[in-house]
Amino acid sequence: MSRAWQGFWRNAVMSLAATATMVLMLLLLAGFWIIQTGLLAGLQFTEQKVNVVAYLQTNATDSQVQTLESQLQAMPEVASVTYVSRDQALAQFRQSTEAQGREDLTRYLDSNPLFASLEVKLSDPSHVRVVSDTLRADPSIRNVINIEDLVNNVLTVTGILRTVGTVLLIIVGVIALFIIINTIRLAVLARAEEIEVMRLVGASDAFIRWPFVFEGAMVGLLGATATLAILAGVAEPLSQFMAGFFRVLPLQFGSLTRDLVVLVMGTGVGLGIVGSWLSVRTYLIR
Amino acid sequence: MTVAPATSATTSLRSRVLGRSRDQAKQERAVLVLHDVTKEYPNGKVALRDVDLVIPEGDFVFLVGASGAGKSTLIKLLIRDEIATKGAVVLDGQDVARLGRRQVPKMRRKIGIIFQDFKLLPNKNVWENVAFALEVTGTPRRKIRPAVDRVLALVGLSAQAEQRPSQLSGGEQQRTAIARALVHDPRLIIADEPTGNLDPLISWEILQLLLRINELGVTVMMATHNAEVVTALRKRVVALEEGRIIRDEVGGAYHRED
Repeated sequence: MSRAWQGFWRNAVMSLAATATMVLMLLLLAGFWIIQTGLLAGLQFTEQKVNVVAYLQTNATDSQVQTLESQLQAMPEVASVTYVSRDQALAQFRQSTEAQGREDLTRYLDSNPLFASLEVKLSDPSHVRVVSDTLRADPSIRNVINIEDLVNNVLTVTGILRTVGTVLLIIVGVIALFIIINTIRLAVLARAEEIEVMRLVGASDAFIRWPFVFEGAMVGLLGATATLAILAGVAEPLSQFMAGFFRVLPLQFGSLTRDLVVLVMGTGVGLGIVGSWLSVRTYLIR
Repeated sequence: MTVAPATSATTSLRSRVLGRSRDQAKQERAVLVLHDVTKEYPNGKVALRDVDLVIPEGDFVFLVGASGAGKSTLIKLLIRDEIATKGAVVLDGQDVARLGRRQVPKMRRKIGIIFQDFKLLPNKNVWENVAFALEVTGTPRRKIRPAVDRVLALVGLSAQAEQRPSQLSGGEQQRTAIARALVHDPRLIIADEPTGNLDPLISWEILQLLLRINELGVTVMMATHNAEVVTALRKRVVALEEGRIIRDEVGGAYHRED
């Protein structure tokens, strides 16, 4: 333990360089992680907006509608079913025209021209066809808005974005991994002579290795702490920006923070230990 | 008083035909025995060929030969930095090739090694450099202090104990290295060109120190190019050429004399 501290301070320049690299790489990784999380939340939100709207026949009875509703709710592809009555539909229409500042033309009508509808939210938008077909088959349904092509296009785009995000995150992760391990390797290389002397005076492998491993863990811990401190510093303006940008998104900052701490600490300390273990190993195995 | 000039072939022949039992007895007291050792590197270069060598307890041996004759390889085999392709290297009764990974450090503690370039740790002062050789063996602190003070007095560096290697002269650095090699009571001191970087006067000082250590009962093997020193001291000389022992005589000179 004391030898590890000594090693850290006596090679302060190398240790600080390694720590600084660690901080930059962890920031990069954390940044991409945040972007990826935001992206995934955005995509999920977009996909959740997909709902199938089915208009009911004007002569459909309440019991018919209720049977259909419970039948739909029993389907695993369905998240929720909302019944919108004709009066509600008219109210919504009036509300939206007013919000758009346009004249309400419905007051010139003597009867409500709108149909009651069922709005079906899907648990997974790729099942839109099954749900639509079920609705079309029911005699109380007048028509179902055909959104299958639209949904498929949205799914293609979100799928691509998900893949691209994941691939980018993996690439950044691998780059960070190699740069961190390489930096630690350089720090160990600078002390190759010390290792050689230790071997010659008969130090056991464990005696040589463990201060380096501990030092690596210390560099990792320090780097991770600095990274988290920086992230905490920018968290407030960043979350405001995010809230403004993705106003509608259900981002859960609590779990994001927890994941980030685990990610940054785990990567930092883990790579510190693994990096120095591997680097020292090359000198021990002969 | 020249011993029969023993090429490796005649030595093994002699041990086989004549003095088997006498040689056997001698080998039991030997610090180091090399038996039929050949070292071939993976690139095909043969650095040592059929080397037989017995170094008894308390001996002082000069290992001479041109660069590339196999001196460095021989030393690497002794500290098990390399393993012999054929034959056995027996240090203090142990075949070094048969040691497991965990035993190698313990074996190395029986050897004190001194290099041309000293190999001191620049971040530690003289005292710490010497103490280091005991720390790695897990010696308790209260035993380290008197042992280090004792060897520093022996090599005459008590006054410089607090200095860093960079503040010392070459001779003082080499004496620090000798103190480090000596502090853990090794069975054998190996000196690889210890005077290679030093001027003649300082070289003699270092030689005097090694001789004194030898008089205290420690076996010393010194690889060197310093013909003047070897010829003047008339100690046992083992000469290597192209990986073979071409001469092994007690009281020999650097060059062949007949």
